[in-house]
Amino acid sequence: MSLITEKDFGTPASVATETVTLTIDGQAVTVPAGASIMRAAGQMGTQIPKLCATDMLDAFGSCRLCLVEIEGRAGTPASCTTPVANGMVVATQTPKLAKLRKGVMELYISDHPLDCLTCAANGDCELQDMAGAVGLREVRYGYQGHNHLNAATDASNPYFTYDPAKCIVCSRCVRACEDVQGTFALTIAGRGFGSRVSPGQSELFLGSECVSCGACVQACPTATLTETKVIEIGQPEHSAITTCAYCGVGCTFKAEMRGEELVRMVPYKDGKANRGHSCVKGRFAWGYATHRERVLEPMIRASTDDPWTVVSWDEAISHTASEFRRIQAKYGKDSVGGITSSRCTNEETFLVQKLIRAAFHNNNVDTCARVCHSPTGYGLKTTFGASAGTQDFDSVEHCDVMLVMGANPTDAHPVFASRMKKRLRQGAKLIVIDPRRIDLVRSAHIRADHHLALKPGTNVAMLDAIAHVIVTEGLVNETYVRERCDLEDFQHWAAFVARPENSPEALEAVTGVAAQSVRAAARLYATGGNAAIYYGLGVTEHSQGSTTVMAIANLAMATGNIGRPGVGVNPLRGQNNVQGACDMGSFPHELSGYRHISDEGARNLFGADWGVTLDADPGLRIPNMLDAAIEGEFKGIYIQGEDILQSDPNTKHVAAGLAAMECVVVQDLFLNETANLAHVFLPGSTFLEKDGTFTNAERRIQRVRRVMSPRNGYADWEVTQMLARALGYPMDYQHPSQIMDEIARLTPSFAGVSYDRLDALGSIQWPCNETAPEGTPLMHMERFVRGLGRFVVTEYVPTDEKVGPRFPLLLTTGRILSQYNVGAQTRRTENAAWHEEDLLEIHPHDAEERGVKSGDWVKLASRAGETALRAKITDRVAPGVVYTTFHHPLTQANVITTDFSDWATNCPEYKVTAVQVSRGNGPVDWQISYAEKASRSRRIEATS
Amino acid sequence: MRDEEIATLQAILADQAARPGALLPILHQVQHAFGFIPKDAVPQIALALNLTRAEVHGVVTFYADFRQTPPARKVIKLCRAEACQARDSDATAARLEQGLGVTLGAASADGSLALEPIYCLGLCASGPAALVNETPVARLTGERLERLIAEALA
Amino acid sequence: MSQTRETLITMANQIATFFQSQGAPDLAARDTAQHIKDFWAPRMRRDLLDMIAAGEAQRLSPIASDAMHRLK
Repeated sequence: MSLITEKDFGTPASVATETVTLTIDGQAVTVPAGASIMRAAGQMGTQIPKLCATDMLDAFGSCRLCLVEIEGRAGTPASCTTPVANGMVVATQTPKLAKLRKGVMELYISDHPLDCLTCAANGDCELQDMAGAVGLREVRYGYQGHNHLNAATDASNPYFTYDPAKCIVCSRCVRACEDVQGTFALTIAGRGFGSRVSPGQSELFLGSECVSCGACVQACPTATLTETKVIEIGQPEHSAITTCAYCGVGCTFKAEMRGEELVRMVPYKDGKANRGHSCVKGRFAWGYATHRERVLEPMIRASTDDPWTVVSWDEAISHTASEFRRIQAKYGKDSVGGITSSRCTNEETFLVQKLIRAAFHNNNVDTCARVCHSPTGYGLKTTFGASAGTQDFDSVEHCDVMLVMGANPTDAHPVFASRMKKRLRQGAKLIVIDPRRIDLVRSAHIRADHHLALKPGTNVAMLDAIAHVIVTEGLVNETYVRERCDLEDFQHWAAFVARPENSPEALEAVTGVAAQSVRAAARLYATGGNAAIYYGLGVTEHSQGSTTVMAIANLAMATGNIGRPGVGVNPLRGQNNVQGACDMGSFPHELSGYRHISDEGARNLFGADWGVTLDADPGLRIPNMLDAAIEGEFKGIYIQGEDILQSDPNTKHVAAGLAAMECVVVQDLFLNETANLAHVFLPGSTFLEKDGTFTNAERRIQRVRRVMSPRNGYADWEVTQMLARALGYPMDYQHPSQIMDEIARLTPSFAGVSYDRLDALGSIQWPCNETAPEGTPLMHMERFVRGLGRFVVTEYVPTDEKVGPRFPLLLTTGRILSQYNVGAQTRRTENAAWHEEDLLEIHPHDAEERGVKSGDWVKLASRAGETALRAKITDRVAPGVVYTTFHHPLTQANVITTDFSDWATNCPEYKVTAVQVSRGNGPVDWQISYAEKASRSRRIEATS
Repeated sequence: MRDEEIATLQAILADQAARPGALLPILHQVQHAFGFIPKDAVPQIALALNLTRAEVHGVVTFYADFRQTPPARKVIKLCRAEACQARDSDATAARLEQGLGVTLGAASADGSLALEPIYCLGLCASGPAALVNETPVARLTGERLERLIAEALA
Repeated sequence: MSQTRETLITMANQIATFFQSQGAPDLAARDTAQHIKDFWAPRMRRDLLDMIAAGEAQRLSPIASDAMHRLK
């Protein structure tokens, strides 16, 4: 193994289709028009010396190292800023150029420390490389003049340091922050010789507007911005391409290693989802993998009141198997089930559902996608015929109007948000439908054209009002509808939305949004060119989540915005493998590839392959399992990689369900909150420790590659396999690629997928089969998967969760950039520097009414429960609405959320809870006792 | 910033933020109103223009004329450009430094007086020239120069 | 009657409300029944039918009730 190096062509690729032929150093080369001379030279293998140029950024032309001579032109133009032309004759190496370059380098080095041997970038420094390339041998100016060699280092950011003494002021970091990340946190302060890179107002990185995405570190050609880990450990010696295990964007990284030690994660330019960019989580927050709290040995206990006993893997597996067999013998075969994880690989997920269907002999399998995107599956399958987003991420580059609804991409999907922001800076229009003023509504260089700040729980009313405008103002794309959609359904739907009660004026009182804003936004969406809808859990996690997804699909079909680049319906998936977990047959009613369990053909196909007879009835969903447990009919559960006690709604109800079971098996990296109520703990492995695939929000299947041995001894798929064997069901996979072969064999949309194909193509977007051997970037191009697109009537039904005198405010929940989901991983990294506790956002008006000041403890109560946290007063939320995150177990926002759920899928209504906020004086009673109880439950018996 | 200062700043922003290329006119007006660009004004300017603090800071620090600290009570900006040099502004500079007890580019210890270089005031025909608290003065030699020093020290 | 069984009534009513809104009254009960068949585990269907038989499902809407009769 060696270090994977990526060639830097100096300037971005030109997308022009016409070509230009020129001569460089006597050799003819043909490149796309608009390419720079530097890029053309790079393409034929000639590296022109450069410092300020990199192909992630537009040419800047400041370092004066890449000068060339062009026949017939005076002077020595910079090759990065000079485009190619037909017949151009270029010389990249002449005595004159050599002298100029050496002179430039000499000036740079005269203000640069000569500590290469002890420098962290030694061996990975472009300045060092260029000094070599130009043959610099002496610096005639000496080092006694004005210099920056004693400038103070800024180590405020936990992940990288800024050492201005080493800076050559090439502006690559500043440009990366602007062009790639879109945060504009950096500038060059001062002028001339005094110029310095400055975060914010010449302050420390940590206190500045910096979001720690790492783009500046990536861009820096010297050791000025360097990963702290590289400073600590040294340069990596080998690397592997792998996929980030955080959000549904699915960024590709090079895991750069030293032996089995991870030195750094470097975003991979050829990653189709991230295109060389990263965020603070994927780039830096992987320290949890070796965190001291990771549990590496299996443990069992008879009662959750007992301490844990460490046992061998053999004992843990045989104990688990005998418990499940005992329970099934006593309470019937349907008394056990399992939950697959959107955090685990496709192969692992597939195996867990296979274990349940084939070895438990029931369909009681569900996945954490139940509580996030299950309405997406139902809604898009019903309307389009495929339970997935329609586009690839690249599509955003062709988008003219973005409609972002119930999603907060700059926090939850930061790398894709950067791509959105880039398109917005290029002039695309933006409509945001969200109760909160998210960053996309207004942040540097971004301003939404319309922010429809609706009351939580009124999504369907809002979309019906928009549809009303489109239909009644004649903005329907009739040709498209006639050709692509079921006309009768359309007419039925059009008549419905055209009713006066669905007009923006009539619904103003419901949504709280002025009718003329809704009308303007609807017109923009329908007439502004390529219009794309991006949505998140603010759409799905409602009692009408599935209806909202269908209402979104209706809008896209009515305006003809499906089936080409720049348009579409795009669910932004929360976790790395939500799409994959759903694809893999994790739902109780579906086999992989979304085939209903009642479909005899599909069932027999699997039955024959697996050598079992499959149950034809759907099994229990997560909330139904918990209900059944409370009823005394569900007694055992195998939970892989999910912390349902913290992540699922109405914590009391979840706890009661788990407490009523006789065998709760938790497979995880850490003793999570659910494990406090578990009887068996099976240590999990991280994404760095196993092979597999994840499928991101654009249906892209990407490889996860093992770069270190599982510290717990086994990859998660091996553990599932051992459990199956112990239950008497044979599984004998030697490698996850064999599991993928089985998936491909049994799943038409995956028929063409294999590890060999993935290695060859880099990634594959399903469907991938005979008709689409390289996968399908855009869906529904010629026709919908279901044939004709289906319009569905979406009547607004107010949720049962209503505000009243006792609970007058509406709580909605979400995520923050530096933390991820229940925080099991990110809380165990330095990301705590940005967000160490959950805060309650409350409008100044509501705060004043309650005598609450910023930073005060407040008590947050709903009919489900109460908790306490600190308040943050902000007008990001409207009066009447409060907001919090759910990353910290000591806050447990889900103590507050209720068990109302989506009508079609039981996806919980996380986004609307009627609450009261009052001044508090610290944590409430359960919070005080929880820490003590949790640590009691986490006791591990000393081994003799 | 005090409430009335914030009000002044907000009035400038309300008046100017919508115009194209508003940042420089705003910075000029802020400096005119406060004598310098207060650090705390930068986030508010950034917010009004949909920029970041860093971007505004970059512009403030790029132009030598924008101050980040309150000015001295009396500021003498002596032209050090070529035409005035030809009319022996070197001697004027030396006399000013000596007479005022302040080096060029610095302020007196009590902050009452500052002597700064400036590059061309367009008064080339009558140099050496200077600005005294924004009022142009010319032919700074001999008696005129001595009078200037005396007034500055008064 | 337990809270968890009450939930079944709420769920069935929610499903019925959706299919009722589709505008064809004769189809609403059929589609509600199909949805419940497609997505509910047999145990849940049985529990709700037991509740109906025991007269404990008064809160069930007419369409949901009709749908459940089709699933007997």
